[in-house]
Amino acid sequence: MFSRILVANRGEIAIRVMRTAREMGIGTVAVYSEADRGALHVLTADQAVHLGESDPASSYLNIGKIIDAARETGAEAIHPGYGFLAENPAFAEQVAAEGLVFIGPPAGVMDALGNKTTARRMMAAGNVPVIPGMSAPEADPERLLEEAEALGYPVLVKAAAGGGGKGMRIVQTADALPEAAQMAAGEALTAFGDASIYLEKCLDRPRHVEFQILADKHGNVVHLFERECSIQRRHQKIIEETPSPALDDDLRKRMGAAAVAAAKAAGYVNAGTVEFLLDRSGQFYFLEVNTRLQVEHPITEMITGLDLVRRQIEIADGLQLPFNQEQLTRRGHSIECRIYAEDPEADFMPSAGKILFARPPEGPGVRFDHGIYSGCQVPVNYDPILGKLVVWAEDRPTAIQRMIRALKDCVILGVKTQIEFMMDLLSSAAFEAGDTHIGFIEENMGQWTPDQRVNSVAAMGFAVYDMAAPKAVASGAKPAGPADWPSPWQTLGAWDFLEKGWG
Amino acid sequence: MEYRLRIADETVSVETSRLDQSGAGTMTVAGETRNVVVTAVSSNHLHLTVNGTATEVFAAAAEGGAWIWVEGRPRFVEDADNAPRRKARGPGDTPREVTPPTPAAVVRVMAQVGDKVAKGQGLVVVTAMKMEITLSAPYAGTVTAVNCEAGAQVVPGQILVEIDPDPEEDLNG
Repeated sequence: MFSRILVANRGEIAIRVMRTAREMGIGTVAVYSEADRGALHVLTADQAVHLGESDPASSYLNIGKIIDAARETGAEAIHPGYGFLAENPAFAEQVAAEGLVFIGPPAGVMDALGNKTTARRMMAAGNVPVIPGMSAPEADPERLLEEAEALGYPVLVKAAAGGGGKGMRIVQTADALPEAAQMAAGEALTAFGDASIYLEKCLDRPRHVEFQILADKHGNVVHLFERECSIQRRHQKIIEETPSPALDDDLRKRMGAAAVAAAKAAGYVNAGTVEFLLDRSGQFYFLEVNTRLQVEHPITEMITGLDLVRRQIEIADGLQLPFNQEQLTRRGHSIECRIYAEDPEADFMPSAGKILFARPPEGPGVRFDHGIYSGCQVPVNYDPILGKLVVWAEDRPTAIQRMIRALKDCVILGVKTQIEFMMDLLSSAAFEAGDTHIGFIEENMGQWTPDQRVNSVAAMGFAVYDMAAPKAVASGAKPAGPADWPSPWQTLGAWDFLEKGWG
Repeated sequence: MEYRLRIADETVSVETSRLDQSGAGTMTVAGETRNVVVTAVSSNHLHLTVNGTATEVFAAAAEGGAWIWVEGRPRFVEDADNAPRRKARGPGDTPREVTPPTPAAVVRVMAQVGDKVAKGQGLVVVTAMKMEITLSAPYAGTVTAVNCEAGAQVVPGQILVEIDPDPEEDLNG
């Protein structure tokens, strides 16, 4: 087994990987950019290497610097996390060429699957059902218009190198296509360094259902059941759950078999995810294979009891999977809410800044993987994910109640988040009914505004807080009594007895 | 103490009595008087009992006011008399200035000085946290200044493109 691994990522996922490494007795190396000098992943690692300036090209996307960091620190393997270089075959190849181990699939497999159009051809050849669409990228606007006409509107513009909804646009009419194609290509270039785009038929209110797969280097492939990830904004998941309310045992078995077939068709090794769209009639279509650990992997860990990062490290070290498909079972229900620094009232626009105060939720069945602390900065340079809140409970209604409770306890002040929005979404009748599809938020939450009923309590809370530290807060408040009205903070023992009691 | 506070678009008045040794007193909010008991757990953590119902409240001071967290619902509370007046935000609203909604980097500038632009026309594309945002013309007019270039780091409030509105354009629209 490796004695030391480098985690080529930042934030919550870097910390999540380091935790398992530590449990396995493996040393951890963090890398960081200028903006992340004080980041929690840097504080968590056994050692940390400064890569360079804050822009991703100088830091988390800089292959040469990351490999140098591994060499300097004696790390034998590199875990890429998700995003950044996680699905970059050139990185995987170079890591291997340097005699280091890349904790993920081989570069060739990643290259084939990373190109969405190549993957579609591969899956169709392996009899995995695919969505009608183009099998090669296209840049010529005239050709795109012809293809869109043939597929029938609405169509989806997608980045060939894509994932995570970056560079994706729904186009309803022909006159909107050229601009959407240009914007999508621009976003794809920024996010993946490749501007190639293609078109797919847009299905009517499908669900996003994906299967976790594990494959070792000895040809063993299993799936670890599904994750329903239909609750999305800007084509990016924010709430995931397993099991899916839409799957019965028969459909689960057929989709699981298709996922394993897809992994075998690609010659897959390590942890990966086969994504499908499931339409209203129960027909499912291959969407793509994500050749990385997913953000939402913890819900699979919760229902199977497995540690996916441990499996990834063991597979990379050449070990065989210690179980077969028949030995895998699942229990209960798990939900994940991604916590982003963004404003649900302003179309989920990112909200960078300083976290003034944070207190993580706790209690039975609650797991919070995060990268924040009171006083930390949320830099503008990277994806605004702060953490992922995960719950497990014996059944779906209980898991929903538990998640709402955990969100209430997930205190983050200073940047905007979608915590309140997700509490209301989880409380909605449509979510309770399990009627989820990828247009759920637009359809059910489009008119959402924060609940005003809480404002009077917030105002009282403010008054109390201000009396505690008047200078810090409201300059305009007038004393109602005598001018020397004493601050309760100065005079009242009862106010701070708890602090004294704990001190 | 008397407070006139603003939370989003709502103005809330709060009058507090003197609190006794145990942190008990009264607070009057929007004309309704309630019995309260307050305990400070830490400098950001208050325990507030209102008419017998207890709530944990978390607070953090910020520029111009404070963030107050009530059971998963954070509110930015500011002094109503000092708070800048803000227009209600709704789906039909367009910002009146060409300025980024969040700190961002400029990707493309699609306007030049002297250009005639239509309302809603895309002028600058910025990127923040891996997402591209198009900033468009708030009204029809002529571009008088372009204050940014591709690659520049920009912040909210910074006017990226200045536009002289067409005379017939209703600026209050």
